[in-house]
Order: sequence, then C-alpha cells, then structure tokens
Amino acid sequence: MLEARLEQAALLKKVVDAIKDLVQDCNFDCNDSGIALQAMDNSHVALVSMLLKADAFHPYRCDRNIALGMNLTSLTKVLRAAQNEDILTLKAEDAPDVLNILFESSENDRISEYDLKLMDIDQEHLGIPETDYAATISLPSAEFRRICTDLAAMSESVSIEASKEGIKFSANGDIGNGSVTLRSQSNVDDNSSGIEIVLSEHVSLTFSLKYLVNFCKAAALSNRVKICLSNEVPLLVEYDLGSNNSHLRFYLAPKIGDEE
Amino acid sequence: MPRTRSTKNDSAETKGEASSKSSVSKYPLGAKNEKPPTVFILPKKATQDARIVNLPNPRNAKPSRYLVCPTTGIYEFTKISAPKSMPRSWLIESNGVEDASDTSKTNNSRGQVASSADLYVATTIDPLFFVLPALVHADSSRKAEEKRRLFMTIYDHLDKLETEESHMSEILRWEGTRSLLESRMAAVCDTADGGGDIMFRLNEKKLFAIILNKARKMCQGGLAPSMEEKFVTKALEAPVQVSSQRSSDSKQAKSSTEKGPGSGESTPQTESADSQSTTATSQSDLSADSQASTAATSVEDDGDVVSAVKVSDDVVHLQRLRTAFSFISSRYLTSSLATQLSSSLADQTTSGIDFAPLDAYYTELAKLRAEAAASRAIGDYTKKRGLDAEEEEARAEKKRKLEEEKKKKASESRASKELKKVNTAGMMKLSAFFKKK
Repeated sequence: MLEARLEQAALLKKVVDAIKDLVQDCNFDCNDSGIALQAMDNSHVALVSMLLKADAFHPYRCDRNIALGMNLTSLTKVLRAAQNEDILTLKAEDAPDVLNILFESSENDRISEYDLKLMDIDQEHLGIPETDYAATISLPSAEFRRICTDLAAMSESVSIEASKEGIKFSANGDIGNGSVTLRSQSNVDDNSSGIEIVLSEHVSLTFSLKYLVNFCKAAALSNRVKICLSNEVPLLVEYDLGSNNSHLRFYLAPKIGDEE
Repeated sequence: MPRTRSTKNDSAETKGEASSKSSVSKYPLGAKNEKPPTVFILPKKATQDARIVNLPNPRNAKPSRYLVCPTTGIYEFTKISAPKSMPRSWLIESNGVEDASDTSKTNNSRGQVASSADLYVATTIDPLFFVLPALVHADSSRKAEEKRRLFMTIYDHLDKLETEESHMSEILRWEGTRSLLESRMAAVCDTADGGGDIMFRLNEKKLFAIILNKARKMCQGGLAPSMEEKFVTKALEAPVQVSSQRSSDSKQAKSSTEKGPGSGESTPQTESADSQSTTATSQSDLSADSQASTAATSVEDDGDVVSAVKVSDDVVHLQRLRTAFSFISSRYLTSSLATQLSSSLADQTTSGIDFAPLDAYYTELAKLRAEAAASRAIGDYTKKRGLDAEEEEARAEKKRKLEEEKKKKASESRASKELKKVNTAGMMKLSAFFKKK
C-alpha cells in the first residue's frame, strides 16, 4: 500500500496547477523511491516529467509499484479543498480503485478526507537520456515568465540564441519585432536573482511561445528555473521542487524548418 | 365510449333541463340509462314472428345477431356509425305523434337519448351463406374427406355448426325457415332422396356458379359508388405523363395505401339491386371523403394532363367482377373457401372468364408506376431515407460519442484549449527525440 505524507499541500497543488493544462489524464507512478509522473501533451510536442522523491514526504511508504491514473481536472477539484498550509496525506491500496486524500489543518484540528476515483490510463513512457546541453541558463523563474509573456504578445514563436554575447530571445510578429537579451550576472546580495550562463557552443533554436508560457505556470513552485538548450534537441525547462532533487521538467520540441 | 360523445350527451341533457326550468321545473332528470336504446331499421315485409337470433357468422363462425323471419328470410344487420369527427346522438321519443296532439300527455312522454348514434339496418342475406360452413366443414382434413363426402340431411349438416350461443336448432324448427335453408342448400348441392328426407352433398361447381352469378349481378349497372371509386377507378388508374408528374404522384401514393379489394368490415356498404346479394359499405363519411378527393384531383386532370394508358371497358368490367367476387368471398365465406373459390375464378377453364386482359393491364400498370416512382425518387431529395436498425445504431453511437466529447470539452480549461490551437507544424514529436522505454 501507499502512504505518503506531505508537509505542505501547496506543493502538490502547484504541481498539478502547472501541468493540468498540458496534460488531462496521467499516471502517478509510485514506487519506493518516490512518486513520478511522465506525460505528453495532446500533440506530443511537449513532455512533462515530474519526480517527487521519497525524501519529500514524511513519512513515505510504498510497498509495491502502483500507477495512480487520474484526471487532473478532477484532482484539482479535490485539491482545491486544501489550504496551502495543510498537511496532505495520500493513501492507496495495492490495487486501488480510489486514491484517499487527507487534509489536516494544524491550526484547528480540522481533518478532511476525500476519495478520488482512479482510472486506467494507457501511457507510453519515453526514455529520456541524460544530455550534456550546449547551453544552460539558470535565471529567476519570474524573469523567464516575464520574457515569455512579453514576447508572446508579439509572436507565436520565439527564437533563442545563445552566444558569447549572452542569451537573446527574439520574436518577429505581424505588428513588429522585439527581443530580450540576458547577460550572465551574479547578484552579490541575493543569490536567487542572479543569471548564470554556461555555454559550450553557439545555439540557435525556435520554440512555440504558447507552450513556454504554459511551462511558466510552474514559476510558483520555485524561484529559479533552468533552461537547457542544444541544437536539434528538445528544450528543457526545469524547476526544482524543494531541496531533495525533486523536480518538475518540461521538454519542448524545437521548430525546425519554416521559421517565421 | 369517446369522451366527446358523453359530453355532447350531457350538454343535450342540460339543455333540456334549462328549457323545462323556464316553464315548470317538475321534470327531474332521470339517471343515465345503462342500456341505451338502439335504433334499427327493419324491413316492412318482416312479419311479427321475426326474431333477432344468434347465428354463427358465415365468415368467422363467431356468434352474431341476425333477424330471422319464418316467412321472408334472414336479414343481416349493418351498422352505420357516425364519423368520430362529428359526434352525434339519437334523441328518441317513443310515441311522439300521439303525444304531440295530446298536451296533457306530453308531460309524461319519455324522450330518451342514446349517446351512440349507431344505426342498424337489416338487409336480406342469402341463407346459403349460413349453411356453407357446415357443408365444407373440417377444413384441415378436407382433402381426404373430399372423396368420401357423404350425403347428409340438413340436420346432420347443421349439427356441426351447433354452439351454445347459436339459435340454429331453434330456427330449424320453424317450418318456413327450414324449407328456405333447404332450398338454398339444394342450389349448391347434389341431392338424393333418402327415405323421405332429402340428403345433401356439396357440389363445388354449383357453389362457384352461384357465387359468380352473385358477383355478376353485383356488377350490373356498376358497383356502389364508393366501391367503384376505391377498387376500380383507383386501382386501374395509370400514372399521368411526366408533364404533370406531381399530381400523378400524389394520386398514386393515395391508391397505394389502400388495401386490396374486399377488405371486409372497412368496406362501405350499400344495397345492390339484387335482393339476394347484399353488398358493401358502412361509414358513409368515408365514401364522402374519397369523393371529395376525386373531385379535387379530377380538376387537375382536366388540364393538359394525359393519362399514360387508356383503360378499356373490358378491363374495367373484369376488374368490377373481380372486386365484387372478392367482396362476397371476403365478407360471407370462410377464408379457406374464399381462397379455393378465388383460385377457381382465376382458372379460365372452371370460371369461363378470361382475366388475361386485366392481368396484362396490371403488368403494364406496375411498370408505369415503377417508372413514375423512380422518376420521383430522383427528383425528390427532401424525402427522408428509411433508416435500418444498423444505421440507427451507428447514429446513436455517434451521437453518444459527440456528447461525450462535448462534455469533455466543457471541462477543459481555456489554457489547454489555447494549446490545442498552437500551430505545431515544423515541430517534431518528442518520440522522435526520446526513444520508447
């Protein structure tokens, strides 16, 4: 059976919020190392990969590998009943029909309990190799979100160019064009607002802004975001979940050919 | 009883009440008569000894009421109903004329209201029809029995028809009735004298000749108008030529919905010239309707519309004869006997009538109609195609899926809808980059 207790319900709430627009139905794969999720969007050009390590839970117990197939819209409805500060506990049998979700409020001894019906979802898992990216940019998640939303007003797609001069996001649309260039900088006062760029070769790729804007919903989960690029491979946008190697990753296929 | 009838009845009663109140209100309204009187028209020649009795219906052997008069014969009742669209009632005053003159007695006169406006008319029926079922009894084993069908007396024959409800044995005791039955039996039977009693054995040729003769008489001077219209004019009507396709189509559709000739109870009734063979037709409204429609269509015909084929008088006569014959068989003969006789009618050697011109005409007509229908089918796109069960199922399934999808769509967030609209051309699927596990 599964029993996983999360100190703050906010974490799961934000994860589900961040991915529910990309993915409607997906499996939460639970094993002894933690809870993982991998799912693609409808057009199969973007992929979400989440890993919540066992360390993220106190306690965590999973005797057998269980796939909890859920509709994320339904899960959102249940999670809405939880306060951000509530303690959240997930419980399931070994071959479950329902996922039992328990919210405990530490303030006023309030306990609410929900059973969410599970569904069988056929999902193919893709093996994602560890990749050495040509360019890795770490920046404040709010900054990345701002760039994406600003440029989304200009165009459908953004071309990201990583060179020695810095990272240039440029968009060319019907009303005109615009670009944002970031240079590596380290903020002495606050570590979280610096921009780190690690570059091994010149990269230039084009991506759909609608998708990137969607990824940015995960900004609530983490102050920092890591963007990894290599020519002719999918872009990786990664948010850290806590300090225990748990993460939420988004992959997006680049636009090749008919660039606007 | 239809509701409209009873309300009509009530209003009639209340009206009577109102008028009496204005003068002197001393006539209490009686309770509704449980057995309302029925109105009959009886033949004048029927004597006082005539009785209404139960006899097995010659067609279906169910006990039905007939008027039997020892001297003048047997009468059948034909019910004439008011059309449903026009509710009517009988207002009956038992001895009207005398009371009208005697004012003191008028107060006591008992008028009655019969809420059902049915009228029963007694018309002569050939007694032959009553004995026929007995003569050709035991249908199922008839083939075997045919060879050794025995000469029997009238009593032996009619014994077979004996049922509890039937008064057949009763009326056989009446001298006049019995001799009448015997004489009619003799017309269709081979007879033999067996020790004072006359013995009878059915002769099918004689029977056929009698029925055919009845049919011939029925056709003389044309059939009853409603029958003529329905089974002769309509049945033989050819579709008009293409120039006026529309009117022909409508007529054709009408005629195709009609049943074959002699479809029994629904046929309108009238009295034919021959007293022996009563014919046809209840429900005068029905014939009125069809006449109205002819009037309408014939107006159209008067224009430049030309019928595709001309009907010859010979063909019309044959059709009339066939209609009359099948009417008699379907109304007064058991179904097995009717089929037997109709096959002998079709056979030229036994009937002596050649129906070939009529049949040829029918073949031609069917061809013409098929052509007209085909040309209409091409032109008519508005007509709904009949769906078979499979299609129906597929449609339901499709609908269900559509609804499911709709529901799913409604639960989708705006953002995910936006994502669906993204132009992913030029973006490779992720499975092209990452291999399946």
